[in-house]
Amino acid sequence: MAILEGRNLRKTYKLSRRNTVEALKGVEISIEQGEMVAIMGPSGSGKSTLMHILGLLHAPDPNHGPAPELYLGGENVASLSDNARTRIRARRMGFVFQDFNLVPTLTALENVMLAGDYAGIRGKQARQAAVDALALVGLNERADHKPVELSGGEQQRVALARALVNKPEIILADEPTGNLDSDRSAEVLALLRQFNREHGQTIVLVTHDAEVGEACDRVIRMRDGRIRDDGQRTSVNRATPTMALPAMAASA
Amino acid sequence: MRLVRDLGRRKLRSTLTITGITIGIMALVVFGSMANKIDALVKGGSEYYQGKVTVSAKGGYMGLGGVLSTKMADQIATLAGVDVVVPSVQLMLNDDVSGVSMGTPPMIDGAVAGADKGRETFPIHYATGRALTAADEGSRVVVLGSDLARQFNAQVGDTVTLRNVKFQVVGILEPTLTAPDNSAMVPLAAAQQLYVRTLSDLVADRLNVNEIATGLVVYPKPGADPEKIADEIDANVAGITTMTGKDFDQQIGAATSMLNAILIGIGLLSLVIGGLSVINTMAMSVAERTREIGIKRAIGASRWRIRREIVIESAIIGLIGGLTGLGLGYVITTLGNDAGRSSATILFDLTFGTAFSSVAFATILGAAAGFIPAWHASRLDPVTALRYE
Repeated sequence: MAILEGRNLRKTYKLSRRNTVEALKGVEISIEQGEMVAIMGPSGSGKSTLMHILGLLHAPDPNHGPAPELYLGGENVASLSDNARTRIRARRMGFVFQDFNLVPTLTALENVMLAGDYAGIRGKQARQAAVDALALVGLNERADHKPVELSGGEQQRVALARALVNKPEIILADEPTGNLDSDRSAEVLALLRQFNREHGQTIVLVTHDAEVGEACDRVIRMRDGRIRDDGQRTSVNRATPTMALPAMAASA
Repeated sequence: MRLVRDLGRRKLRSTLTITGITIGIMALVVFGSMANKIDALVKGGSEYYQGKVTVSAKGGYMGLGGVLSTKMADQIATLAGVDVVVPSVQLMLNDDVSGVSMGTPPMIDGAVAGADKGRETFPIHYATGRALTAADEGSRVVVLGSDLARQFNAQVGDTVTLRNVKFQVVGILEPTLTAPDNSAMVPLAAAQQLYVRTLSDLVADRLNVNEIATGLVVYPKPGADPEKIADEIDANVAGITTMTGKDFDQQIGAATSMLNAILIGIGLLSLVIGGLSVINTMAMSVAERTREIGIKRAIGASRWRIRREIVIESAIIGLIGGLTGLGLGYVITTLGNDAGRSSATILFDLTFGTAFSSVAFATILGAAAGFIPAWHASRLDPVTALRYE
């Protein structure tokens, strides 16, 4: 069953009065439960923007085209308020960033507990859930250390634990190995695969790293704000019409 | 708490900001205590002067001035509405008035005990010893007010010297926070004798010691209007001036209200400045934590939560500043009172109300100062905030 489905996803950013960027020009996407999907593409292809929309950090543009559709677990989330989107992010999603992005004044355990707190897990359960999450990434002995005392790889593992503490329906990772050396990258990738294979955790990641792409079930390739290849090996490649036109024109 | 740790991030900055609030609260506490003291004095005075008419010699003020005669008491007693007239002799304990600041200077207060026949309503309570009685007339005994007793370091049974004359202490009053604390109450005859000595021989020779009074207290019959009686006295008796409770309120009350307002105004002004400092600090703190706020929002913190975090943090700044300001204010008022004790001048009354409301005000001010930075923080777009360097 599709855990995340989107149609007619568009996003234009207004950088200044005259400078707008059409980051997404109409995207259709479907992620099955239990899939591990990579989104790849050159800079400016819109992959981060797509990630932000799938992660409900931004809402898709409602205007200038057919109405956008976005479903999380069958629920329509295309035009929710900021508060509603924040709630869903807190309770049903997990995020991992390229820069780890842990809160510097909190220990590893407290960082993970923070996400639990936002998700509505209270009291003793919060602590236990955090401890369990840290155990999953093998960092229990470092639970009382602050980020500045942890290596890059360890910080990213804490971030992973943080993403898992609320048992999310989907984990969204934006270049999770971008700031790590190859050994640490492999570690983090292995953890992600483990959660996917053993626990059926749905994972969507944006990456430049071909190795990461190969570790995933499929790779969605983007270019210029559209999906060029959604990696479905069993169905026909949905090339976008504009790509076909020059070929048709040439053969005419 | 976690949030206190956030303050520890920039210790110098937090300390400076908190100091701003501390100074403001300290000023509010000290000036507020001064205002409390003034209020107590004024209230005591007002209470005392209500419901009676105080007669003194023209050119005098509140009993310090020229000489009246006890014969006037008899004359006034015949006027309509007058119940009892009590002559009294008041003079300064010390001729040197340099130590006087607020409140009343130490006074010797002589009257025949019981002459008011129970009309006096101002509550006087005795800490130790007894009150003067009519039988004390002719003796040299004294009842001391609480501040004077402390100044003389006297207890019941001791002998004290008032204007070079020895008196035996028979009673000590409870503190009243107003004029009686600084008074030495003696029998009328003793006061008259002391008073005569302050006059030049030329004047003294012409007076009958036993008829000397510096003031007359006129008690009205129940239901009689003190204002009307005062007017009648003014019309019928020469060379005197009258004062009623209303006069007191008008003259003194107005002046002290203004003084109160100025003092509190200064205190509040300092706090406003302190509050601005908090706003500035919180704004800087939010700007520095832009990325962190972005992270928190991304992983699911609601706008409200972000706002709450910032406001609580700035409230804590206010609270800490309030407590330290209160502490410093307490030290200052205590030292000030100790220093003034020797001249029987108690300047500060730091009540629980002043203390509590100062700290509460500081905390609320801190929280309020955090509102605008908090609101801005909550409106940050998570994605752009996340990428902020």
